[in-house]
Formats: sequence, C-alpha cells, structure tokens
Amino acid sequence: MPKQLKLTRRAVLRLAWVGVIAASALTIEPLAQYLTSKEDRLQSSLVAYNKPLDMNTDWQNTAKARVWVKRDPTGVTALVATCTHLGCEVHYNVEKKQWLCPCHGSIYDQEGRPVSGPALRALPRVAVELKPDGSLIIDTSKQVGMDTRV
Amino acid sequence: MKDHKNFVNHIRPRFVHSTALSVLYTFCLGGLSFLAFVILGVTGLLLMFHYQPGNSTGFSSILTLASVIPYGGVIRNLHYWAGQLMVVTVNLHMIRVVLTHSYKPPKQLNWLVGVALLILILFLDFTGYLLIGSQESGAAATVAVNILGLIPVFGTGLAQALFGEPSTLSGSTLVVYVWHCFALPMIALFLQLYHFWRIRRDGGVRPL
Repeated sequence: MPKQLKLTRRAVLRLAWVGVIAASALTIEPLAQYLTSKEDRLQSSLVAYNKPLDMNTDWQNTAKARVWVKRDPTGVTALVATCTHLGCEVHYNVEKKQWLCPCHGSIYDQEGRPVSGPALRALPRVAVELKPDGSLIIDTSKQVGMDTRV
Repeated sequence: MKDHKNFVNHIRPRFVHSTALSVLYTFCLGGLSFLAFVILGVTGLLLMFHYQPGNSTGFSSILTLASVIPYGGVIRNLHYWAGQLMVVTVNLHMIRVVLTHSYKPPKQLNWLVGVALLILILFLDFTGYLLIGSQESGAAATVAVNILGLIPVFGTGLAQALFGEPSTLSGSTLVVYVWHCFALPMIALFLQLYHFWRIRRDGGVRPL
C-alpha cells in the first residue's frame, strides 16, 4: 500500500517556499544578462571610410555606423543618418534621392533638408578629415555646417 | 500591551484586538503600498545600472534601456507600473482611513505621518516622470520651477534645490536623480518604518 501523503498547511507552505526559491533562481540568468550588457557603453566618435570615393557616386554608407559620405564638386561631406525627430535610423532611397525615416515618415531631400513629416531640422553634417592615403576619418562628435567640404 | 511599545517586539505581538482581524476592514492597502515600494526599490536599483541622468543623456539612455539592453524593458515597465500602483493604493489607503475614522485619537500622529508619506510618494512619482527626460518631462519641470518661483524670497532657491536646472526639452538633471533615487526613498523608508511601528503602538491591526 502506498504511503499516504500528508499535506498539512505547514507542508504546503514549505512547498511554496521551494517554489519561490525556484522562481528566484530563474531570474539569475536574465539579471546577469541585464547587468553585464555593454550595449550602452561609450563608443568612439571616430568612424573610418577606406574605399575610394568617386565624384559621381551618391551617398555611401560606412560600415557599422550611421555615417554616410559623399564627394561633390566642392569636396567631401559626411552625414549622420539619425532622424532629427526621435532618433530612428533613416535610409537613403537612391531612386527618389531622398532620406526616409521608417518610424514616423519624415522625408529629407538629397542634402538632408526636411521635406515633410514630423522632423523639422536637417540631418546633421559632421567633420571629415582627409588622410594622405585617401581614406577618411569622420568625427561624429563635431557638427559642421551644411556647406562645409573637405 | 507593554510589548507593543517595544520597537523590536512589534512585528509579532502576543495579542491583537479581535476587531482588527478582518482583512475587509483595511483591504491591506497599506501593505500593498509597501509591497509596491519594495518592488520599486529593487527595480529602481537595477535601472540605476544603465540610466544616465542629465538633460542631454536621460532620454537617450531610457530609449537604449527599453529597446537594446536585455530585459531592460521588463525592468523599466515593472518600475513604471509599480509606481502607478503605489499612487493608487496610497490614495485608496487614505480614503479607507477617513471612512473608518482611523485618523482619530489615539492615531492622530500616524495620520500626519501618513499625509507626509503621501506627499513624498507624489513627489517621488513626479521626479520619476522628470527623469524620463522627454519633452513632456521638460515641460513639467518648467511648470514646477515656475510655480515654485512664485514663492517670495526663497522660491527660486527652493526650485534650484529640488530640480536643479532642467532644460525645457528635458527634465532629467543630476539633482532630480539624487532626490528620486536616494534622498526621497530613504526619507520615505524611515517614515514608513515609524508608521508601521506606530500602528502597533496605537493598538492597531493584526500582523500579516
């Protein structure tokens, strides 16, 4: 005959404690992920662009950053593709020659000036330094005027 | 009744009034408020690991926290909703105390402590709203600073001490951060501990 399970109130409450401890143990791994996340660490404001930049090409994206570069008859300029409305990453549409924001539909013209949508300010231009070997170093912490060229 | 007056022995007193044994008398609203306060303390401590106060950094660090950091959104929402819950339960607790006439002697001092706690909780709620650092926070901070500025002589200084110098676009300043994360919770915690002991001392309700 199987042993009769005696569930007193005290035994059930003790089981509840086991449940509480087990549930707490489940939070350890998420907590460790949260506490060790380095997603918000400070990143260098410098971005490099090594490929050759032709006069005739449109905006070119630098790898791994929201920085785009372009060479026009007056020189080289760099643009940060972060929407001036709420900070989403905007994308350059080559056919329309416009910057489009996927979040709230802001549209900027080829030079990053706002055309329609909630954004009111132009996409920021940042300082570019031309290295002797032809590569570019872009400093995203230094904003420059729209007509500045290197 | 003697052991009720001892600060150490009040959690599990030897006897309580039989009239105080009904849950439907208090609805445990004070206890629920304290539970929310504990959740707020734990989640708030966790948020401090990723939040960066400041007019220019507050809002962006919240965005990063809620969208990029693993489980950041969960912790932020727990903190947010526990804060909302606490304001609701604290107000219901006040209403219950009024309806059952529990503010009358011998509990009149504890009522005043409760009123002070209500003001503290509302100010904690408001500073938390400023720390989001959105444009709405900036507008709220501007309104608060301007209202305090109307107080003659020391109004401007008081606004400076409570809010620092928030921009109109963001209410998140280091001053607000320190009030919200350390000063106000500490004052509230010690007032609450006194509040709970005082219940027992005044012959209050049953232990949980």
